[in-house]
Amino acid sequence: MDAVRLQIEDFSQDAEVLALKASSKCMGGIATFIGCARDYSEGREVSEISFEAYERMALPELQKLRAEAIARFGLLDARIVHRLATVRAGDNIVFIATGAEHRAPALHACEWIIDELKSRVPIWKKEVTPAGDSWVTPHP
Amino acid sequence: MIKVLFFGPVSERIQTRELAMIHTAGMSLQDVINQLNEHYPQLFDIISFIAINGVQVRDRQTPLADNDEIAFMAKFSGG
Repeated sequence: MDAVRLQIEDFSQDAEVLALKASSKCMGGIATFIGCARDYSEGREVSEISFEAYERMALPELQKLRAEAIARFGLLDARIVHRLATVRAGDNIVFIATGAEHRAPALHACEWIIDELKSRVPIWKKEVTPAGDSWVTPHP
Repeated sequence: MIKVLFFGPVSERIQTRELAMIHTAGMSLQDVINQLNEHYPQLFDIISFIAINGVQVRDRQTPLADNDEIAFMAKFSGG
């Protein structure tokens, strides 16, 4: 399993954490983030969310993001998986795991990666609601 | 030929996902923008990023080569 992936299918948090841990026995702290689909947004019911990416640019940017996080926070390893599917409420969207010798860099790196991902990686989401579909405006 | 790509909210706005333009000697990114502006004046309101062959560019005078791929993109909303 590549450490950075764009994929339609769901991911397994357990499998990703196992893969992360396998990279080093010096890992004393692992932080994870899972982004999930909500069934509402800005007061509206949301039945589905669909994702579209410019994959030629998105995958290299995610790989660059992982490398930058490892260098910036002194991580032992990191993994990033983003789904490109139509998902329903409660479904997984994105997974990030960071491993370091201690907890602080792992936690900080995990938050940094999701923030950077949202502003740097060419992926767009569209919410499907009973009132119609709409592309999501970037949200902090 | 130059391949021009549109994604997500951009493709929906102009009802097009891909266009092909004839490459001419000395052509720059600005020439493509000018041509698109003529046909899709509503396009550039929501364009925040432009990439050539998968690499973001800011200089509109960037020269284009035959078979280049240009992507016009709105603000990202992944995650």
